[in-house]
Amino acid sequence: MNTLTDRYLAATLRSVPAERRDEIATELRASIEDMIEDRTGGGQHTATAEREVLTELGNPDLLASRYTDRRLQLIGPTYYLVWLRLLKLLLSFIPAIVGTVVVVVEVAQGNGFGAIGRGIVVAMQVGVQITFWLTLTFAVIERAQPGTTMPGWTVDQLPDVPTHRDVSLADTVASVAMLALTIGYLPFQHYQSWVHDTDGGNIPILDPALWSFWLPALIVVLAASVVFEIVKYRTGRWTWPLFGVKGLLDVAFAVPVAWLALSDRLLNPALADRLSWLADQDNRDTLGVVIALSAAGVVVWGLIDSAVKTRRQTR
Amino acid sequence: MVNEEVLRTHLQELRRGTVVVASLLALRQPGYGYALLQRLTGHGFPVDANTLYPLLRRLEEQGLLTSEWNTQESRPRKFYRTSADGETVLARLLDDLAAVQTSVTGLIEGADR
Repeated sequence: MNTLTDRYLAATLRSVPAERRDEIATELRASIEDMIEDRTGGGQHTATAEREVLTELGNPDLLASRYTDRRLQLIGPTYYLVWLRLLKLLLSFIPAIVGTVVVVVEVAQGNGFGAIGRGIVVAMQVGVQITFWLTLTFAVIERAQPGTTMPGWTVDQLPDVPTHRDVSLADTVASVAMLALTIGYLPFQHYQSWVHDTDGGNIPILDPALWSFWLPALIVVLAASVVFEIVKYRTGRWTWPLFGVKGLLDVAFAVPVAWLALSDRLLNPALADRLSWLADQDNRDTLGVVIALSAAGVVVWGLIDSAVKTRRQTR
Repeated sequence: MVNEEVLRTHLQELRRGTVVVASLLALRQPGYGYALLQRLTGHGFPVDANTLYPLLRRLEEQGLLTSEWNTQESRPRKFYRTSADGETVLARLLDDLAAVQTSVTGLIEGADR
Protein backbone atom coordinates (compact mmCIF):
# COMPACT_ATOMS: atom_id res chain seq x y z
CA MET A 1 0.00 0.00 0.00
CA ASN A 2 1.28 3.39 -0.87
CA THR A 3 -1.70 5.70 -0.56
CA LEU A 4 -1.41 9.35 0.41
CA THR A 5 -2.52 8.41 3.92
CA ASP A 6 0.26 5.81 4.22
CA ARG A 7 2.81 8.34 3.07
CA TYR A 8 1.43 10.95 5.45
CA LEU A 9 1.58 8.52 8.41
CA ALA A 10 5.13 7.48 7.55
CA ALA A 11 6.23 11.11 7.32
CA THR A 12 4.62 11.94 10.66
CA LEU A 13 5.85 8.91 12.57
CA ARG A 14 9.43 9.23 11.31
CA SER A 15 10.32 11.55 14.18
CA VAL A 16 8.09 10.03 16.86
CA PRO A 17 9.84 7.77 19.43
CA ALA A 18 9.62 4.10 18.35
CA GLU A 19 7.84 2.81 21.47
CA ARG A 20 4.84 5.06 20.85
CA ARG A 21 4.86 4.83 17.07
CA ASP A 22 2.43 1.93 16.54
CA GLU A 23 -0.17 3.29 18.90
CA ILE A 24 -0.10 6.77 17.41
CA ALA A 25 -0.17 5.26 13.91
CA THR A 26 -3.31 3.22 14.62
CA GLU A 27 -5.10 6.12 16.28
CA LEU A 28 -4.11 8.67 13.66
CA ARG A 29 -5.06 6.34 10.80
CA ALA A 30 -8.50 5.78 12.37
CA SER A 31 -8.95 9.54 12.81
CA ILE A 32 -7.98 10.21 9.20
CA GLU A 33 -10.33 7.51 7.94
CA ASP A 34 -13.14 8.93 10.12
CA MET A 35 -12.57 12.36 8.60
CA ILE A 36 -12.49 10.98 5.02
CA GLU A 37 -15.61 8.89 5.62
CA ASP A 38 -17.44 11.93 6.93
CA ARG A 39 -16.69 13.81 3.74
CA THR A 40 -17.45 10.96 1.30
CA GLY A 41 -20.77 10.52 3.16
CA GLY A 42 -21.52 14.05 2.00
CA GLY A 43 -21.06 12.92 -1.64
CA GLN A 44 -17.39 13.77 -2.14
CA HIS A 45 -14.98 11.61 -4.16
CA THR A 46 -12.66 9.56 -1.91
CA ALA A 47 -9.42 10.82 -3.49
CA THR A 48 -10.50 14.46 -3.16
CA ALA A 49 -11.62 13.90 0.43
CA GLU A 50 -8.30 12.27 1.32
CA ARG A 51 -6.38 15.20 -0.14
CA GLU A 52 -8.50 17.72 1.76
CA VAL A 53 -8.19 15.90 5.07
CA LEU A 54 -4.41 15.58 4.85
CA THR A 55 -4.12 19.22 3.80
CA GLU A 56 -6.19 20.16 6.85
CA LEU A 57 -3.88 18.18 9.13
CA GLY A 58 -0.98 20.11 7.67
CA ASN A 59 2.79 19.62 7.60
CA PRO A 60 3.55 16.17 9.08
CA ASP A 61 6.71 17.46 10.78
CA LEU A 62 4.64 20.07 12.60
CA LEU A 63 2.08 17.44 13.65
CA ALA A 64 4.88 15.14 14.86
CA SER A 65 6.41 17.95 16.88
CA ARG A 66 3.07 18.45 18.63
CA TYR A 67 2.95 14.74 19.50
CA THR A 68 6.46 14.74 20.90
CA ASP A 69 6.80 18.27 22.35
CA ARG A 70 9.86 18.68 20.16
CA ARG A 71 11.30 22.20 20.00
CA LEU A 72 10.72 23.93 16.69
CA GLN A 73 13.24 26.65 17.51
CA LEU A 74 17.00 26.68 17.69
CA ILE A 75 17.16 28.76 20.87
CA GLY A 76 13.94 29.45 22.72
CA PRO A 77 12.90 32.37 24.93
CA THR A 78 14.48 30.77 28.02
CA TYR A 79 17.99 31.11 26.67
CA TYR A 80 17.68 33.67 23.88
CA LEU A 81 18.50 36.75 25.96
CA VAL A 82 21.47 35.11 27.70
CA TRP A 83 22.74 33.90 24.32
CA LEU A 84 22.36 37.36 22.78
CA ARG A 85 24.12 39.10 25.67
CA LEU A 86 27.04 36.66 25.63
CA LEU A 87 27.34 36.86 21.84
CA LYS A 88 27.47 40.65 21.86
CA LEU A 89 30.04 40.64 24.65
CA LEU A 90 32.35 38.14 22.92
CA LEU A 91 32.04 39.72 19.47
CA SER A 92 32.71 43.18 20.89
CA PHE A 93 36.39 42.57 21.44
CA ILE A 94 37.76 39.09 20.66
CA PRO A 95 37.79 39.38 16.81
CA ALA A 96 39.35 42.87 17.07
CA ILE A 97 42.10 41.66 19.40
CA VAL A 98 42.94 38.60 17.31
CA GLY A 99 42.87 40.66 14.10
CA THR A 100 45.23 43.24 15.63
CA VAL A 101 47.64 40.53 16.80
CA VAL A 102 47.69 39.05 13.29
CA VAL A 103 48.37 42.45 11.70
CA VAL A 104 51.24 43.14 14.11
CA VAL A 105 52.79 39.72 13.57
CA GLU A 106 52.46 40.01 9.78
CA VAL A 107 53.96 43.51 9.80
CA ALA A 108 56.82 42.26 11.96
CA GLN A 109 57.44 39.60 9.33
CA GLY A 110 57.67 42.34 6.71
CA ASN A 111 54.44 41.67 4.81
CA GLY A 112 53.56 45.38 4.53
CA PHE A 113 50.05 46.48 3.58
CA GLY A 114 48.89 42.91 2.90
CA ALA A 115 48.91 42.47 6.67
CA ILE A 116 45.79 44.63 7.13
CA GLY A 117 43.71 42.52 4.75
CA ARG A 118 44.93 39.35 6.42
CA GLY A 119 44.00 40.80 9.83
CA ILE A 120 40.47 41.62 8.67
CA VAL A 121 39.98 38.14 7.20
CA VAL A 122 41.16 36.45 10.41
CA ALA A 123 38.96 38.74 12.56
CA MET A 124 35.92 37.78 10.45
CA GLN A 125 36.76 34.09 10.70
CA VAL A 126 37.07 34.39 14.47
CA GLY A 127 33.70 36.17 14.61
CA VAL A 128 32.04 33.37 12.60
CA GLN A 129 33.65 30.70 14.78
CA ILE A 130 32.51 32.38 18.01
CA THR A 131 28.96 32.76 16.71
CA PHE A 132 28.78 29.16 15.51
CA TRP A 133 30.12 27.50 18.64
CA LEU A 134 28.16 29.70 21.05
CA THR A 135 24.93 29.07 19.14
CA LEU A 136 25.61 25.34 18.94
CA THR A 137 26.25 25.19 22.69
CA PHE A 138 22.99 26.97 23.47
CA ALA A 139 21.05 24.83 20.97
CA VAL A 140 22.35 21.72 22.78
CA ILE A 141 21.46 23.16 26.20
CA GLU A 142 17.98 24.03 24.88
CA ARG A 143 17.41 20.36 24.04
CA ALA A 144 19.40 18.52 26.69
CA GLN A 145 18.35 20.14 29.95
CA PRO A 146 14.87 21.60 29.83
CA GLY A 147 14.97 21.96 33.63
CA THR A 148 18.12 24.05 33.86
CA THR A 149 17.40 27.27 35.68
CA MET A 150 19.27 30.29 34.38
CA PRO A 151 20.44 32.97 36.79
CA GLY A 152 17.43 35.24 37.24
CA TRP A 153 17.43 38.88 36.33
CA THR A 154 17.91 41.44 39.12
CA VAL A 155 17.82 45.22 39.09
CA ASP A 156 21.56 45.24 39.89
CA GLN A 157 22.21 44.13 36.29
CA LEU A 158 20.80 47.37 34.90
CA PRO A 159 23.50 49.07 32.82
CA ASP A 160 24.37 52.70 33.44
CA VAL A 161 22.31 55.23 31.54
CA PRO A 162 23.91 55.12 28.07
CA THR A 163 24.22 58.89 27.57
CA HIS A 164 26.94 58.96 30.24
CA ARG A 165 29.10 56.51 28.33
CA ASP A 166 30.63 58.11 25.29
CA VAL A 167 33.75 55.92 25.54
CA SER A 168 32.88 52.41 24.35
CA LEU A 169 34.29 49.21 25.83
CA ALA A 170 35.33 48.03 22.35
CA ASP A 171 37.43 51.17 21.74
CA THR A 172 39.07 50.88 25.15
CA VAL A 173 39.88 47.20 24.70
CA ALA A 174 41.30 47.86 21.23
CA SER A 175 43.47 50.72 22.50
CA VAL A 176 44.77 48.73 25.47
CA ALA A 177 45.50 45.76 23.20
CA MET A 178 47.46 47.96 20.79
CA LEU A 179 49.48 49.49 23.65
CA ALA A 180 50.17 46.08 25.20
CA LEU A 181 51.34 44.73 21.85
CA THR A 182 53.65 47.73 21.36
CA ILE A 183 55.09 47.26 24.85
CA GLY A 184 55.59 43.58 24.11
CA TYR A 185 57.22 44.27 20.75
CA LEU A 186 60.06 46.36 22.20
CA PRO A 187 61.79 43.48 24.05
CA PHE A 188 60.54 40.99 21.44
CA GLN A 189 62.40 42.66 18.52
CA HIS A 190 65.60 42.44 20.53
CA TYR A 191 65.54 38.65 20.41
CA GLN A 192 63.50 37.97 17.27
CA SER A 193 63.61 40.55 14.50
CA TRP A 194 63.78 38.30 11.39
CA VAL A 195 67.03 40.03 10.45
CA HIS A 196 70.05 37.80 10.91
CA ASP A 197 73.76 38.35 10.71
CA THR A 198 76.03 36.11 8.64
CA ASP A 199 76.28 33.59 11.52
CA GLY A 200 72.49 33.32 11.74
CA GLY A 201 72.39 35.35 14.97
CA ASN A 202 69.61 37.87 15.56
CA ILE A 203 70.09 41.59 14.82
CA PRO A 204 67.72 43.78 16.88
CA ILE A 205 65.91 46.47 14.87
CA LEU A 206 66.38 49.15 17.53
CA ASP A 207 69.79 50.16 18.82
CA PRO A 208 70.55 47.96 21.88
CA ALA A 209 72.33 50.94 23.48
CA LEU A 210 68.88 52.52 23.97
CA TRP A 211 68.05 49.91 26.62
CA SER A 212 70.23 51.85 29.08
CA PHE A 213 67.54 54.55 29.31
CA TRP A 214 65.28 55.43 26.37
CA LEU A 215 63.47 52.15 25.71
CA PRO A 216 62.57 51.59 29.41
CA ALA A 217 61.38 55.22 29.49
CA LEU A 218 59.15 54.66 26.43
CA ILE A 219 57.74 51.49 28.03
CA VAL A 220 56.86 53.51 31.14
CA VAL A 221 55.03 56.07 28.95
CA LEU A 222 53.13 53.28 27.16
CA ALA A 223 52.20 51.65 30.48
CA ALA A 224 50.95 55.03 31.70
CA SER A 225 48.84 55.23 28.50
CA VAL A 226 47.24 51.88 29.40
CA VAL A 227 46.31 53.26 32.83
CA PHE A 228 44.99 56.39 31.08
CA GLU A 229 42.71 54.31 28.79
CA ILE A 230 41.25 52.48 31.80
CA VAL A 231 40.68 55.72 33.72
CA LYS A 232 39.05 57.21 30.62
CA TYR A 233 36.72 54.20 30.33
CA ARG A 234 35.72 54.43 33.99
CA THR A 235 35.07 58.14 33.60
CA GLY A 236 32.94 57.21 30.60
CA ARG A 237 33.60 60.38 28.59
CA TRP A 238 36.29 62.78 27.48
CA THR A 239 36.96 65.73 29.81
CA TRP A 240 39.45 68.59 29.38
CA PRO A 241 41.78 67.23 32.15
CA LEU A 242 41.77 63.85 30.37
CA PHE A 243 42.53 65.66 27.10
CA GLY A 244 45.52 67.36 28.77
CA VAL A 245 46.91 64.09 30.13
CA LYS A 246 46.42 62.40 26.76
CA GLY A 247 48.33 65.23 25.04
CA LEU A 248 51.22 64.97 27.53
CA LEU A 249 51.45 61.19 27.13
CA ASP A 250 51.43 61.41 23.33
CA VAL A 251 54.11 64.08 23.33
CA ALA A 252 56.18 62.15 25.91
CA PHE A 253 56.23 59.20 23.51
CA ALA A 254 56.56 60.96 20.15
CA VAL A 255 59.21 63.57 21.01
CA PRO A 256 61.89 61.06 22.17
CA VAL A 257 61.13 58.82 19.18
CA ALA A 258 61.39 61.74 16.73
CA TRP A 259 64.52 63.12 18.38
CA LEU A 260 66.23 59.70 18.39
CA ALA A 261 65.24 59.16 14.74
CA LEU A 262 66.54 62.60 13.64
CA SER A 263 69.84 62.12 15.48
CA ASP A 264 70.23 58.68 13.86
CA ARG A 265 70.24 56.83 17.20
CA LEU A 266 66.97 54.90 16.87
CA LEU A 267 67.92 52.04 14.55
CA ASN A 268 70.57 49.45 15.24
CA PRO A 269 73.81 50.42 13.34
CA ALA A 270 74.45 46.70 12.83
CA LEU A 271 71.46 46.63 10.45
CA ALA A 272 73.55 48.48 7.90
CA ASP A 273 75.78 45.42 7.59
CA ARG A 274 72.88 43.37 6.28
CA LEU A 275 70.68 45.97 4.59
CA SER A 276 72.98 47.84 2.21
CA TRP A 277 70.40 50.59 1.68
CA LEU A 278 70.88 51.66 5.31
CA ALA A 279 74.65 51.93 4.91
CA ASP A 280 74.23 55.22 3.01
CA GLN A 281 74.13 58.18 5.44
CA ASP A 282 71.71 60.14 3.19
CA ASN A 283 69.25 57.27 3.25
CA ARG A 284 69.52 57.01 7.03
CA ASP A 285 68.78 60.74 7.35
CA THR A 286 65.78 60.44 5.05
CA LEU A 287 64.42 57.51 7.06
CA GLY A 288 64.94 59.47 10.28
CA VAL A 289 62.92 62.40 8.90
CA VAL A 290 60.12 60.06 7.76
CA ILE A 291 59.92 58.43 11.21
CA ALA A 292 59.97 61.82 12.97
CA LEU A 293 57.25 63.23 10.67
CA SER A 294 55.12 60.10 11.16
CA ALA A 295 55.42 60.41 14.94
CA ALA A 296 54.50 64.10 14.75
CA GLY A 297 51.58 63.32 12.43
CA VAL A 298 50.21 60.68 14.81
CA VAL A 299 50.41 63.12 17.74
CA VAL A 300 48.71 65.96 15.85
CA TRP A 301 45.97 63.68 14.55
CA GLY A 302 45.44 62.25 18.07
CA LEU A 303 45.18 65.74 19.58
CA ILE A 304 42.68 66.94 16.97
CA ASP A 305 40.60 63.77 17.34
CA SER A 306 40.45 63.91 21.14
CA ALA A 307 39.87 67.69 21.13
CA VAL A 308 36.83 67.21 18.87
CA LYS A 309 35.49 64.42 21.10
CA THR A 310 36.13 66.38 24.28
CA ARG A 311 34.39 69.45 22.87
CA ARG A 312 31.38 67.39 21.82
CA GLN A 313 31.12 65.40 25.07
CA THR A 314 31.62 68.24 27.57
CA ARG A 315 28.83 70.33 26.12
CA MET B 1 -10.26 50.04 10.93
CA VAL B 2 -9.09 47.00 12.92
CA ASN B 3 -6.51 44.82 11.20
CA GLU B 4 -8.08 41.40 10.47
CA GLU B 5 -4.80 39.63 11.23
CA VAL B 6 -4.48 41.35 14.63
CA LEU B 7 -8.06 40.47 15.52
CA ARG B 8 -7.58 36.84 14.51
CA THR B 9 -4.43 36.51 16.65
CA HIS B 10 -6.14 37.92 19.74
CA LEU B 11 -9.16 35.67 19.32
CA GLN B 12 -6.84 32.68 18.93
CA GLU B 13 -4.99 33.62 22.14
CA LEU B 14 -8.29 33.97 23.98
CA ARG B 15 -9.53 30.57 22.77
CA ARG B 16 -6.36 28.59 23.31
CA GLY B 17 -6.84 27.62 26.96
CA THR B 18 -10.54 26.95 26.61
CA VAL B 19 -9.97 23.92 24.34
CA VAL B 20 -8.63 21.98 27.34
CA VAL B 21 -11.67 22.95 29.44
CA ALA B 22 -14.04 22.00 26.65
CA SER B 23 -12.31 18.64 26.04
CA LEU B 24 -12.31 17.67 29.73
CA LEU B 25 -16.00 18.62 29.95
CA ALA B 26 -17.02 16.80 26.78
CA LEU B 27 -15.07 13.65 27.68
CA ARG B 28 -17.09 13.04 30.81
CA GLN B 29 -18.83 10.88 28.20
CA PRO B 30 -16.19 8.69 26.51
CA GLY B 31 -15.34 9.70 22.97
CA TYR B 32 -12.74 9.20 20.24
CA GLY B 33 -10.74 11.85 18.38
CA TYR B 34 -12.88 12.79 15.41
CA ALA B 35 -16.20 12.41 17.26
CA LEU B 36 -14.92 14.80 19.93
CA LEU B 37 -13.78 17.23 17.25
CA GLN B 38 -17.26 17.29 15.76
CA ARG B 39 -18.92 17.58 19.14
CA LEU B 40 -16.73 20.54 20.13
CA THR B 41 -17.33 22.25 16.78
CA GLY B 42 -21.08 21.70 17.23
CA HIS B 43 -20.91 23.44 20.61
CA GLY B 44 -19.06 26.45 19.24
CA PHE B 45 -15.49 25.34 19.96
CA PRO B 46 -13.93 25.11 16.50
CA VAL B 47 -10.56 23.39 16.94
CA ASP B 48 -7.99 22.19 14.39
CA ALA B 49 -7.55 18.43 14.08
CA ASN B 50 -3.76 18.78 14.23
CA THR B 51 -4.13 20.55 17.58
CA LEU B 52 -6.76 18.32 19.16
CA TYR B 53 -5.24 14.87 18.48
CA PRO B 54 -1.84 15.64 20.04
CA LEU B 55 -3.60 17.47 22.89
CA LEU B 56 -5.61 14.36 23.78
CA ARG B 57 -2.42 12.32 24.03
CA ARG B 58 -0.76 14.96 26.20
CA LEU B 59 -3.74 15.11 28.58
CA GLU B 60 -3.62 11.31 28.78
CA GLU B 61 0.10 11.38 29.64
CA GLN B 62 -0.65 13.95 32.33
CA GLY B 63 -3.21 11.55 33.81
CA LEU B 64 -6.17 13.84 33.17
CA LEU B 65 -7.69 11.43 30.66
CA THR B 66 -7.90 7.64 30.62
CA SER B 67 -8.18 5.68 27.40
CA GLU B 68 -9.48 2.38 26.14
CA TRP B 69 -9.30 0.76 22.73
CA ASN B 70 -12.62 -0.21 21.19
CA THR B 71 -12.24 -2.90 18.51
CA GLN B 72 -15.96 -3.68 18.14
CA GLU B 73 -16.57 -1.29 15.25
CA SER B 74 -15.34 -1.13 11.67
CA ARG B 75 -11.94 0.24 12.74
CA PRO B 76 -10.09 0.25 16.09
CA ARG B 77 -10.74 3.51 17.92
CA LYS B 78 -9.21 4.91 21.04
CA PHE B 79 -11.86 6.19 23.45
CA TYR B 80 -10.87 8.82 25.97
CA ARG B 81 -12.62 9.63 29.24
CA THR B 82 -11.96 12.31 31.86
CA SER B 83 -10.22 10.76 34.89
CA ALA B 84 -10.65 11.64 38.59
CA ASP B 85 -7.55 13.86 38.37
CA GLY B 86 -9.04 15.38 35.22
CA GLU B 87 -12.21 16.26 37.16
CA THR B 88 -10.16 17.97 39.88
CA VAL B 89 -8.24 20.03 37.33
CA LEU B 90 -11.46 20.77 35.43
CA ALA B 91 -13.13 22.09 38.60
CA ARG B 92 -10.21 24.49 39.19
CA LEU B 93 -10.21 25.61 35.57
CA LEU B 94 -13.97 26.26 35.61
CA ASP B 95 -13.61 28.27 38.84
CA ASP B 96 -10.91 30.33 37.22
CA LEU B 97 -12.95 30.85 34.07
CA ALA B 98 -15.85 32.07 36.22
CA ALA B 99 -13.47 34.36 38.15
CA VAL B 100 -12.27 35.86 34.86
CA GLN B 101 -15.86 36.45 33.78
CA THR B 102 -16.64 38.11 37.14
CA SER B 103 -13.57 40.34 36.86
CA VAL B 104 -14.45 41.35 33.32
CA THR B 105 -18.00 42.16 34.38
CA GLY B 106 -16.63 44.23 37.27
CA LEU B 107 -14.43 46.19 34.89
CA ILE B 108 -17.30 46.80 32.46
CA GLU B 109 -19.53 48.10 35.25
CA GLY B 110 -16.66 50.13 36.67
CA ALA B 111 -16.12 51.80 33.32
CA ASP B 112 -19.74 52.94 33.24
CA ARG B 113 -19.46 54.75 36.58
